[in-house]
Amino acid sequence: MSLGDYLRLLRAQRGGVTPFDIETALPELTKGSYRQMEQRYRAVGDDESLRLIAGYYGQPFEELRWRLDWPRKALSRALVQALTTDAAISLYLWNGQEKTGRVKWWDLGALELETSDGPIVIQRHAVARWDQRAADDDPAAADDADSDD
Amino acid sequence: MAENLWALREQKKLSVATLASRAGLPIGLIMEYEAGQRSIDARHLTRLARALYVEEADLRLRSDPRPGTGQLERQPRPAAAPAAAGPVQPAGQTNHRSDPAAGSPQPTPASGAARPPRERGPRPPRVQTPRPPAPARPSQITHLQEVLARLGRAQAQVEAELGKPLAEIDRPTASKLLTQFQTELREGRSAERHRAYLPEAVDQYEMRYLTEVQEAGTPLHFTLFDNTTLAGAVVGFGPYNITVREADGREVTVNKLAVVSYVKMPAAPPAGQEPAA
Repeated sequence: MSLGDYLRLLRAQRGGVTPFDIETALPELTKGSYRQMEQRYRAVGDDESLRLIAGYYGQPFEELRWRLDWPRKALSRALVQALTTDAAISLYLWNGQEKTGRVKWWDLGALELETSDGPIVIQRHAVARWDQRAADDDPAAADDADSDD
Repeated sequence: MAENLWALREQKKLSVATLASRAGLPIGLIMEYEAGQRSIDARHLTRLARALYVEEADLRLRSDPRPGTGQLERQPRPAAAPAAAGPVQPAGQTNHRSDPAAGSPQPTPASGAARPPRERGPRPPRVQTPRPPAPARPSQITHLQEVLARLGRAQAQVEAELGKPLAEIDRPTASKLLTQFQTELREGRSAERHRAYLPEAVDQYEMRYLTEVQEAGTPLHFTLFDNTTLAGAVVGFGPYNITVREADGREVTVNKLAVVSYVKMPAAPPAGQEPAA
């Protein structure tokens, strides 16, 4: 889950306070920066702002900081690469599951993976991290290559 | 060599009214200048020169009267001159009408004979032939096809009813058909669950996927963030939530933010058949 998605989730858990409420509560934050952190697909925010927000939500700073390195845009790049190279990708989900397979489609909300257990649609905000495997490492791809021979 | 104002104006093919407008001076004043009744004011000289695109030195400060202007009164008034020809302007008087023709009276012919009025017969009534309607716009045709697809109606059937292909209908017909089909669509869909507009390129693939499973009635099995599960047929969805009908008929709307993943469940066997082992 990217920082933006995680902040949205925290805000929902707080009973749906608005970004305006948060910026009012944290006057040290630059105006509009919180909203940008939630809405932008690229990584937005510096450590100082993240510390303030972590304090507001009562979360460890590191819990927010590492998510900054896994923005939605980086996931899009990984999915595009996996789709174009027909390589498998491993997705580590927020609930502890790991799903590996080929990308059938993806958009800004979800993606479909063709896994060994069958197709599955995964919400993008459920993806915590990912690992792009080379086509050679993918057993399914190797099988395909063998069958071509 | 400096020229008369009226001569320069005629060289430039300007009417008195146009010159007056360009120079920002009253027409009457210009006519007085042209008739040589007064010298051109130094302040007006610049304006007139600019309006005529000449140098100030090209304008004579006091114009000579235009040949023929002062002789009108000496010309015998033609007896048969119709009243419609207009009054003859006596010498020394100015015409303050804004009509350019009046401001620059043409020299009368040497013969002095007035031009007989043209005889105009009654104007024949204009026959307005109705224009054929324009062909339908491509956007109308595309829109019609989309609406027909949403209504689930075959284009061929509509074309058979119309007696011509959609591409050949005219604009009013296309407009009328669009109104009719959109009304049908609105009335027919009113009983259905409202579906929010999903912008393309944001979640178009998921939208297609969910549309497909909803139309096929394929049940989905959802895994939520708290590792609970939910299963049922999709009865509606939006950008942020999905509504499913569980096996017991209960409808549950789940926020997508709470969903980790979902998979298609195998279709239930028809009633009376046991599922294969």
